Amino acid sequence: MSAVLGTAAVALGLAAAVLGMATLAIGLRKGNPGMLRAGQRYVWLILAGALLATASMQYALLSHDFSLKYVADNGSRSTPLLYTVTTMWSALEGSILLWSLVLSGYIALMVRHFRARATDPIVAWASLVAFGVAAFFFGLMAGPANPFRVVSGVIPLDGPGPNPLLQNHPLVAFHPPMLYLGYVGFTIPFAFALAALITGRLGEGWLVETRRWTLFAWGFLTVGIVLGAWWSYEVLGWGGYWAWDPVENASFLPWLTATAYVHSVMVQERRAMLRVWNLSLLVATFSLTILGTFLTRSGVLDSVHAFTESPIGPAILGFFALVVTVSIALIGWRGDTLRSPGSIDAPISREGAFLANNVAFAAFAFVVLLGTVFPLLVEAVNGDQLSVGAPYFNRMTAPIGFTLLFLMAVAPALPWRKAAAETLHHRLVWPAWAGTLTVVACVVAGLRGLGPLIAFGLAAFAGAAALRQLGLSVRAARRSGQPAWRALFGRSNGGMVVHIGVVILAVGFAASSSYGHRAQFRLSPGQSARLAGHSVTYLGTTTADLGNKKRTSAQVRVDGGKVYEPALNLFQFGSQAIGSPSVHTGPFSDVYLTLVVPPDADGVAVIGVNVQPLVAWLWTGGGVMGFGTFLAAWPGRRRRRPFVPEADAAPEVASGEATPVAAAASS
Amino acid sequence: MSRRLTWALLGLVLVVALAVGSRGPSGPVTEDQRARRITSIVRCPTCRGLSVAQSDAPSAEAIRDEVRRRVGAGETDAQIKAYLVSRYSEDILLQPKTAGAGLVVWALPVVGGAAAVGGLVVVLRRRRLRPGAKVSDDDQALVDAALGR
Repeated sequence: MSAVLGTAAVALGLAAAVLGMATLAIGLRKGNPGMLRAGQRYVWLILAGALLATASMQYALLSHDFSLKYVADNGSRSTPLLYTVTTMWSALEGSILLWSLVLSGYIALMVRHFRARATDPIVAWASLVAFGVAAFFFGLMAGPANPFRVVSGVIPLDGPGPNPLLQNHPLVAFHPPMLYLGYVGFTIPFAFALAALITGRLGEGWLVETRRWTLFAWGFLTVGIVLGAWWSYEVLGWGGYWAWDPVENASFLPWLTATAYVHSVMVQERRAMLRVWNLSLLVATFSLTILGTFLTRSGVLDSVHAFTESPIGPAILGFFALVVTVSIALIGWRGDTLRSPGSIDAPISREGAFLANNVAFAAFAFVVLLGTVFPLLVEAVNGDQLSVGAPYFNRMTAPIGFTLLFLMAVAPALPWRKAAAETLHHRLVWPAWAGTLTVVACVVAGLRGLGPLIAFGLAAFAGAAALRQLGLSVRAARRSGQPAWRALFGRSNGGMVVHIGVVILAVGFAASSSYGHRAQFRLSPGQSARLAGHSVTYLGTTTADLGNKKRTSAQVRVDGGKVYEPALNLFQFGSQAIGSPSVHTGPFSDVYLTLVVPPDADGVAVIGVNVQPLVAWLWTGGGVMGFGTFLAAWPGRRRRRPFVPEADAAPEVASGEATPVAAAASS
Repeated sequence: MSRRLTWALLGLVLVVALAVGSRGPSGPVTEDQRARRITSIVRCPTCRGLSVAQSDAPSAEAIRDEVRRRVGAGETDAQIKAYLVSRYSEDILLQPKTAGAGLVVWALPVVGGAAAVGGLVVVLRRRRLRPGAKVSDDDQALVDAALGR
């Protein structure tokens, strides 16, 4: 039944998307408002299709309907409930279903949000583009990535369950949905960018309208990537969280271009510059989400994440090519109207810093993209095999990262248009001392190594600069009689909170990757070992049969306190034992334990111990970044819907001048 | 204190601190450090994407032992890497050589970066206002409203 219902739901979504596109196209051609409204209403049918398909899949998974090929390949009776639900995104077809669900949700929100202006051609075109993307993803499910294919021949009684790595940690329930909320969210600004190009309304209006959509997508993507790193740390067992794996890079690439965009868009709003560049960044971000899907889902790259291989590759690559071609053609066609009226007055200015920021982010994205696809290109050209791994990425991106930290410290202090030396001195002198003294303190404390010291110094510089801005906002808020917490809301204040998150994350990254210690110890029960100031005592091993897996856990006492249980799991249908690390997390250092070799006949086990400082700062920093994004997207006092009638808007504008943001900027 | 003096002092303190901080531990590089340096750029053959130094896999353990043995026998880094490439293949090294096709992946970002910085300088130097396309009144009104002007 699930198969029939699911297939029907996919067909409904596909048909609604195509019919909606056709209705909108005719409506736009004829200038018929009724048809434009009717066309956008198809979104509810698309959403219904996605919801029904998801419900069918979940029903099939939960009721162990092994007549469905997807369930037979990825489900099992012994998998716990949580991982049965998450099985939907444990393999290719279900992931596309999740993508379609999130996409339908976003488009529905978009249509609802702009319903008062449904007949505006720019909204109609944006809907048309978004429907086109939806049609592609429903088309994938109707064709090469059909999640509702039925088993041919005998229906199995049980299945192997999802990939063992995907049923080992509850984060698997949060990381993919978050990531998809980010990835897919960029469809909306992309749709508006294309609509602006098509309608020729290339002023700043469409940017303002999609500002918050972009911020939300960016926030979700940020949190999704950090959760992915956390998952990798807690599950994969090598003690790290970021391996520059192609799948990680695939999620990081759109993040880089989107981050460049959320900065440079301010230059366009403020100074009406960088129009072509901003459009290109949005198109690049969306294209990179599609390219990432191609890289990770087509099996073209070998990686720890490449769980699936499927004939879906050509379809996605074709769609990627279509998106890029159409966008470039449109930008070329509108080239003349895209010419910006503004120009930069002085290099040492806010807009100058944003420009430098964009060059740095673009370079970062270029290096990551090149390193990711280079082995593929070389192999395609002359059949040679070579690897481009972490040492390459670390070496090439570190200078760019330092540049970005430096800009992050300096840019908020720079005024628009032009900076006087006096102003700069006044605003930067104490953050700069904070950075310098941090370096001195680190050196005195015995820390060595140029890279981490530069990172800590720049991080302190940037952190102090952000705190200074927030302090000014709080003071301004107090003066104008508002509560201090109000000073955290709004774009520039939220942005400073995000910067503080980045600083925390950067410190965690630099410290944990520079000052880690790892060792393996052969221990008999009762024996202890010491590493980097921590003691570990091996107590013994227990085994348990948990239905879907057999678990051998070692009991290890850390620093004479709590007992941790690193384990090896043998899954019912897997041949290889999957390790489950166990982590003692502290504010200043983590002790990461793995069971490398279970006890032999003499009871001697090999325990892997990995001590890394400040790992928890990474997750904290990610959380602060997400929170800051939320604050930045919060509708501030001075931000209103762009299309409120003039008469209503006027008094608010007047009061808006006295908000903390404005006051801080003019201090 | 004058402005200039403040920044000069700050720069001096920073340079001294970094100079002291970037000095590694005194004495020659130990065998253990050399082995770790080499294994951190060698790919673990069975885990893809991880270095031998990072992995607990048996294949990584075997390479670690072999590298340690060769370091002890007095082989140079280059000799050990050459051995590993002959034993496995070119892609056992996590960073491509700076020769042949591998050169491209190193040089391209440097060339591109230089070009981008050059372009930035050109853009920033072009200061005069260009009479260009005008913003439509509608859009300008939306921006003004949004920016609270």
